[in-house]
Amino acid sequence: MLSVALLGYAGFAALCLAMEKHFKELLKHSPRGVHLRSLRWAGWALLLASLVLAVHLRGWAHGLVEWIALLMAGVTLWVFMLPYRPRWLLGLAAVSVVLGPLLGLASLMR
Amino acid sequence: MKRTAAGLPLAYRLAVASRSLAALLGGYLLASLANVALALLTPISQVDAALLGMMLSFLVYLLAFIWCFACRSAWRAWAGVLAPSALLAVIAGLAYGMQTP
Amino acid sequence: MKEGFRQAMAWLHTWTGLIFGWMLFAIFLTGTLSYFKDEISHWSQPEIQRHALDPAHSLGLAQRYLNANAGSAASWFIQLPSDREPAISVGWREPGQGRRGFVSKSLDAASGEVVQARESRGGDFFYRFHFQLELPHPWGRWLSTWCAFIMLLGLVTGIITHKKIFKEFFTFRPGKGQRSWLDGHNAIGVLVLPFHLMISYSSLVLFMYMVMPAGIMASYGGETNRYFSDLFGRDVDVSSAGVVAPMAALPSLYAKVQEKVPGARMGYIQVQNPNDQNARVSFTRASSDSVAYRRSQSWTFDGVSGALVSSGAPESAMMMTSFSFAGLHMGNFAGPWLRWLYFVFGVAGTAVIGTGLVMWLGKRQLKHAKSDCQPGELRLVEVLNIASMSGLLLAVAAFFWANRLLPVTLEGRADWEVNAFLWVWAASLLHAAVRPGRRAWAEQLGLGAIAFGLLPLLNGLSTGQGLNHAIAVGDWAMAGVDLTALGTGLFMAWLARKMLRVPAPAKKRAARPAAPGKVTAEAEAN
Repeated sequence: MLSVALLGYAGFAALCLAMEKHFKELLKHSPRGVHLRSLRWAGWALLLASLVLAVHLRGWAHGLVEWIALLMAGVTLWVFMLPYRPRWLLGLAAVSVVLGPLLGLASLMR
Repeated sequence: MKRTAAGLPLAYRLAVASRSLAALLGGYLLASLANVALALLTPISQVDAALLGMMLSFLVYLLAFIWCFACRSAWRAWAGVLAPSALLAVIAGLAYGMQTP
Repeated sequence: MKEGFRQAMAWLHTWTGLIFGWMLFAIFLTGTLSYFKDEISHWSQPEIQRHALDPAHSLGLAQRYLNANAGSAASWFIQLPSDREPAISVGWREPGQGRRGFVSKSLDAASGEVVQARESRGGDFFYRFHFQLELPHPWGRWLSTWCAFIMLLGLVTGIITHKKIFKEFFTFRPGKGQRSWLDGHNAIGVLVLPFHLMISYSSLVLFMYMVMPAGIMASYGGETNRYFSDLFGRDVDVSSAGVVAPMAALPSLYAKVQEKVPGARMGYIQVQNPNDQNARVSFTRASSDSVAYRRSQSWTFDGVSGALVSSGAPESAMMMTSFSFAGLHMGNFAGPWLRWLYFVFGVAGTAVIGTGLVMWLGKRQLKHAKSDCQPGELRLVEVLNIASMSGLLLAVAAFFWANRLLPVTLEGRADWEVNAFLWVWAASLLHAAVRPGRRAWAEQLGLGAIAFGLLPLLNGLSTGQGLNHAIAVGDWAMAGVDLTALGTGLFMAWLARKMLRVPAPAKKRAARPAAPGKVTAEAEAN
């Protein structure tokens, strides 16, 4: 389920960065429209991927419940740590984007 | 309207109390009648209809509560819960009469 | 009341939240603890040994014990040990005594002997409190279900009131006084909204037959029992034949169930008319095996011949919906990490209520910041806030301390633990009433920090099963309670320190009057 958590976390991080206000604050430069649009697409795609993976791994009942729980936990961590440790969170998001899909693929192969 | 506790006119306090009662009792009446109507009239098995009626009745109660505090006057609050209650009572009463000869 | 829909909803949110907030806080906090009901029970009865699970063996032991001690009972109930519950629970009903004649015992899972554990309600106390509130039946259930409805109403009115729900989805700005409290309140409310909605609506579904009975009454007439047998698909009770007959070995019946559903864990096992010609044995699958309660997952055997008599009827879609809400609420299906998330979300729900109560008062106290005395009603809210939040935490700590300090052989020991909880809670109310607001907060939080922080030490000294031992033998239920207490202690110490410090800069910024016309409905809501 770690892969689901990481994908979901990365998804919300992307959706947050897709808002101009947060992008400026976190990355210290003004985004171009195409940046924001692609971040938004990437965010939703990551959330969808984590849903598909959760349902595939655990079935509808458990998968859906665990997916929602992990998303809520991930986004809560993001929002409440953001004012204190923004760099850590961005680092974790970067790691998640790489590690999430890899772990997801690994669990699909098994 | 000022909301300092001491400065509230009596009429305002009574109106709030009236709305609260409309929500609490009138809302419950409406929710219960919706529950009965759904339980008797939904064309699914008896136990399923009872479940559906109960599960939806809370949403009816919720909407009734919101109505009672969103509408413009306490009179409207009462009218808003009692009029549909009367309608549902007629429907549920007819259904009950037909099912229990 | 204010003009405009959003304003009216903000008003409703504010006042229903204030009136029921204190009780909701207690319900949420104890409900959150209930996700670790079995772990808390394990902590409060450290005498019960954990053994490797062997269901068939345990079932044999249960049958042996019941044969010897309740051979002529009207019915037996057996609950096998699980990952979370170390002991075998057995219970029986003496014939012709109705509900009063119920006896229950805990047996050691390996030896089958009665466990001599200290008398304590353990996690069951918090579990029962969160929906019965220590009130006589059925008032506690009515009141807590009503509170659940108010929570649902609060969520809906809160969403309506929250103008920038999407724009401020990721926003939390700490260190800005009232603004930060509102941010925090909104963010926890919105980000964990699916949980909040699920938990409050499912509470209504759990007790809907009690609080919304009109539909059942109209549809089933006087025979409400028929509703329950339709819903749960219960078998018709078989009456005793009055002829003694030897029973089949329960482990052999257990093996038959395992053949049908390999690996299934068992919930409770019921034996009707044991050692009688008409003995019936029913196995029900454990609720930890599926999200929703599954009535289809049950099997009834003839207790003498061992033949399968019937199995549970399949569920309809409507039943699955309501059983899913029940299952989601109780979270029995959750493994360790999902259980921890449940706990965290429960804490989040508690925090939403707590921040709401603090904001209601904070906003109104600002208006009286310059004068020395505050109006009586604000003082009342302040006292109730302190007692219902920090006081409740103190009471929970008192329960745990009483569990370790009361003599093990004390008569009515379990009740004394509950009394300690209630008395400390009452004392906190008294204390809050006589001390000035911030001091009262700081003192109660500080005392709570000490009480929770030292709990692991007390546990280690009084039982020898402290953290060093529990972690070494891998008893994570025991260690988990200790570590959570330690974490709670640290959190309360941090809060107490914040209360002791004079909040000069934050207060100044928050006290700056808002520009006229900039007061939004959101700000109204707190």
